[in-house]
Amino acid sequence: MLRVHDVDVFIQASHILRKISLEAAAGELVCLVGRNGAGKTTTLRTVMGYLRPAAGTITLAGMPIAGLPTHTIAARGVGYAPEESAVFGDLTVAENIELATWTRPGGRPAAERIARAYEIFPRLRGAAARGGTQLSGGERKMLSIARALALDPTLLLLDEPFEGLSPAIIPQLTEAIAAIAGLGPGILLAESNIHHVPRYATRLYVIERGEIVFAGRPDELRGRPDLARIVGAGL
Amino acid sequence: MIVRALGLIAGAALVLLPLAGVPYTTTLLLPAFGYAVALLGLNLLFGSTGLLSFGHALFIALGGYTAAALTGRFGVRSLELVLLAAALVAALVAVPIGLLCVRYVKIYFGMLTLAFGMLFYSFLYKFYALTGGDEGMRVLRPMLLGRPLEHLDTVAYLTGPFYYYALGVLVVAALVMRRLVGSPFGLSLRSIRENAAKAESLGIGVRRCRLAAFVVAAVFGAIGGVLLVVPTGLADPLLAYWTHSGNLVFMLLLGGFDHFLGPVLGALVFILLQDSVMSLTSYWRFVFGAILAVIVIFFPRGLMGLLDARRAAAS
Repeated sequence: MLRVHDVDVFIQASHILRKISLEAAAGELVCLVGRNGAGKTTTLRTVMGYLRPAAGTITLAGMPIAGLPTHTIAARGVGYAPEESAVFGDLTVAENIELATWTRPGGRPAAERIARAYEIFPRLRGAAARGGTQLSGGERKMLSIARALALDPTLLLLDEPFEGLSPAIIPQLTEAIAAIAGLGPGILLAESNIHHVPRYATRLYVIERGEIVFAGRPDELRGRPDLARIVGAGL
Repeated sequence: MIVRALGLIAGAALVLLPLAGVPYTTTLLLPAFGYAVALLGLNLLFGSTGLLSFGHALFIALGGYTAAALTGRFGVRSLELVLLAAALVAALVAVPIGLLCVRYVKIYFGMLTLAFGMLFYSFLYKFYALTGGDEGMRVLRPMLLGRPLEHLDTVAYLTGPFYYYALGVLVVAALVMRRLVGSPFGLSLRSIRENAAKAESLGIGVRRCRLAAFVVAAVFGAIGGVLLVVPTGLADPLLAYWTHSGNLVFMLLLGGFDHFLGPVLGALVFILLQDSVMSLTSYWRFVFGAILAVIVIFFPRGLMGLLDARRAAAS
């Protein structure tokens, strides 16, 4: 579904991504793991159209999307939950979720998308009338993902969804992401801590200084102690 | 609750005012209705979308001159047709201007809109043969709902049928705007105001939405402009002058731009306040400047914000 091939990205004069290649298929949870500053967020932002690759191709369901405006990429079915949650504080939780239902016509009806978002994150249902600024950090993360889900995406990009969350919330969020994966969309999840990579991840990429240094199944990483310092100890 | 009760009382007072036999006050409110309609549009642009126009008077003038041209030169006397034509002309003019302006935000957007407003002012001022130059163009009394009402003198026409017509247009405009603000489009505008880049990631075409808000604001501005020029019977270049745009921003701040009815309240209070202060002192601009400073410093949410704060304190 998503295919990133030999992508180079520059930010001003800095060469941030170097020949990045990765893939994510429907129903698959793919994790992109690397240290802070390795290029995870840049990769996701490039797929999302915030950054234009200098070289390489990005295709979604076989159609090139590199260079398209962000809103067009979203309308084609790419949901994005950025690291900083991106909740609109001026809107209520219900409005935040509703917002994503009209920009991508076709597919499931809006009511079904909203119901599905609340089903995955039941905690948000009780907070539907609250403003975005009145949410805890965990709730904001949930809302950010729920809203991306309300877009009815075929591919979901999650940027460090566990970052800064209380350990008590992380299992809930992990279960929610598993439930989303079960619904069919492919998920590309960027994470700096290997211990946060869900067990059900089907594929793993390790990124270091803008280059993919490992691609394979998560269990294959155990045979690569040289990557321990990149993805965290205790492999 | 308090705000709703006050709103109902104010609404009833507006409906009953012509019956109270105070024609001066009644005619005084007519421009407030026109401004209120224009401000509902301007607030979609500023309050909802976060784009502050310093040239919105351009569209008020466009509405005014459309009314003048249609009634005076083309013999179109139906106010419904005039309003429709003004809305269409404003939309047509707003699209190319908006396409340029919405590429920018903040002060750049404000300055560009100011520049277009002044360009239009210069056009109205200099193209004498077409626009009447500094003398402007006469606006003939239009028919209301197909009724010529020629048996009424001007005061009776303005304080009777036209008053209710203008009030009706304001109510319809408010209902349409209410619907628009609460729609997914309105939600999108608010998300754009908060963070345009994040809004894009939800599939919201930021420029397209900003342009749509600009065009809607222009249409409301032109409709307000028509309502403004009928009572005076004149469309003159000062309608497009930058101080007029400044007054619109003042009214918006006075009423409160983060409340739906703030623009309506701002227009009403501005007109009444202007009349009172002008009758007291010739330094009324000085007084208005001081009032604006006090609002910005102490009541940034305007009069509606003050009412909201009282409501919150009461509850």
